[in-house]
Amino acid sequence: MSADFLRVEGLAKDFGGLRAVSGVSFSMGRREVIGLIGPNGAGKTTLLRLITGILRPDLGTINFKGISISGRKTWDIVNMGIACTFQNMRPFRRLPIIANVMVSCLSPRAMKRGEWVKKIEAKAMDALEFAGISDMALEKASTLSQGDLKRLEVARAIATEPELLLLDEPFGGLSPAETELMAKSIKRLHKGGRFGRLHSEGPAMIIVEHKLQQLMKIVDRIIVLDFGTIIADGTPEDVVNNPQVIKAYLGQGGL
Amino acid sequence: MSLIGYYTRKTYTICKEEVLVLPGRVAVGVFFLTVLLLPLFSQSPYLLRVMVLSSIFAIFAASWDLLSGFTGQMNFGHALFFGVGAYSTALLNIHAHLPPWASIPLGALAAVITGLVVGIPCLRLRGTYLALTTLAFPIIVLGIVFAIPDVTGGELGLSGLSRLTGTRLWDYYLTVIVMLAVCSIMWKIANSNTGIIFHAIREDEVAVRASGINTTRYKLMAFCLSGFFAGISGGLYAHFMRIAGPSTLEVSMSFTVVIWAVFGGIVTIYGPVGAVFILFPLLEFLRFWPEYRTLAFAIVILLILLYMPEGLFPYLRDKIETECPRCKIRNVATRKTCRICTAPLE
Repeated sequence: MSADFLRVEGLAKDFGGLRAVSGVSFSMGRREVIGLIGPNGAGKTTLLRLITGILRPDLGTINFKGISISGRKTWDIVNMGIACTFQNMRPFRRLPIIANVMVSCLSPRAMKRGEWVKKIEAKAMDALEFAGISDMALEKASTLSQGDLKRLEVARAIATEPELLLLDEPFGGLSPAETELMAKSIKRLHKGGRFGRLHSEGPAMIIVEHKLQQLMKIVDRIIVLDFGTIIADGTPEDVVNNPQVIKAYLGQGGL
Repeated sequence: MSLIGYYTRKTYTICKEEVLVLPGRVAVGVFFLTVLLLPLFSQSPYLLRVMVLSSIFAIFAASWDLLSGFTGQMNFGHALFFGVGAYSTALLNIHAHLPPWASIPLGALAAVITGLVVGIPCLRLRGTYLALTTLAFPIIVLGIVFAIPDVTGGELGLSGLSRLTGTRLWDYYLTVIVMLAVCSIMWKIANSNTGIIFHAIREDEVAVRASGINTTRYKLMAFCLSGFFAGISGGLYAHFMRIAGPSTLEVSMSFTVVIWAVFGGIVTIYGPVGAVFILFPLLEFLRFWPEYRTLAFAIVILLILLYMPEGLFPYLRDKIETECPRCKIRNVATRKTCRICTAPLE
């Protein structure tokens, strides 16, 4: 596949006087998995929100599969095949967990791709099964632990069967065992295949994460942001040895 | 005959396995039967009038719950839909000489258009800002009503509408059956896939958008559906009272519907309906003590909200039913094990 699956050019976003993202440009291929790292406040989450249309860019363009998505509504972007999870989880707390996922299953994209699926609940259940929380499907989302909420976020995102998945700190707040499990799930998802009534085409991924050791096992390439600009872009090995990255983010201790 | 026998057996099986197993459902069944059979016991014109008005306001209260309870679009100007429904019905009946069966649905459609007019500027608002903006709309329309008295009748309103039906008894049956049907439809919508999206929008709109759902469409749908049902109640009210006056648009009307819904329990549909059938007759009963009427009414509401903050009917439901911790199916509170999965109910 060409490297123009997602092309971001000269992206900028200001919040009042603060420039959160400044002239960010990169492109990625259809099967690529990119790690997005950087110090807190570097603009990682803002960049993801710009791609998903939750925020509107002040400058720059975003092209997905050759079509400009800058300024489009979030639901349009999701229905084109981009899904995201949130760093601060946003479950529908008073709804059962299965209903949380059913909302995604009711999106036009999911409905079109799963026309043959008679029951939305069954498809939602398969997404929960994949995320490993199907046994809690009937519990209210407010009762879930931090780790299970992260899984719920993933289940909600994959229910739309995306081609590009943006994961914002998927390992945040997870124990080492849970982190291991989540990493396995992400790899399995990227491999693609059928999970019950869900079909994963092996989505490309952009993963924002601070747990670098886990991240390095998953990603093909790492982009480092600092003060809203890209300071490094390359293979994980190149990036961790980059003096600028060591100075801005990793410190002398490295990983 | 065999077909009748088949449906009789089927109805009996449904009643036995689906209705009689839960006291909440039995209570709803008893309510349906009571309102349908009431005229067999008394045909007092006053009683029938109170019940007809209760039915009309029950539709109105449930329609508020669909918009503000389920979808979280806090509407403090719900009288707008009621008033527009009432005035449109009256205009169509008086000037176009349309009978009630045509003027009421068309009046409701006018309320749907009003729902769109209100909904579009309110799309970006939430919370207090939304509540205050919606509050302004019926006041604006009330100003228009007073500004063109030749069309709207000004302060006196439009009177001389044709009767709903020929007799008070048929008025009663028509409104009660429409109320039961419309409220059942609203309950069905609230429990459908669309209802799940309404719920989700109330919880977190950004997350719903990120799930690929066009929240604008669903919010406008909620405004239109709620406007339609409130418009039906407004149309019924205009034909039953044979007048559409400025009182249908007053601020007190908008706040009364909030009181009914909160008293009965929001996000339930059945709560606001039940609340109207308690509070409206109660207010009539309190006419015996006119000087204490409003005070007593306020005390009843405050006591209920103090001890049952989620509303009267969810409180009562939780007293007579318990939820299975494993399968989440509701059971009679006296049961020791779940009727479906047999898990202990503590």
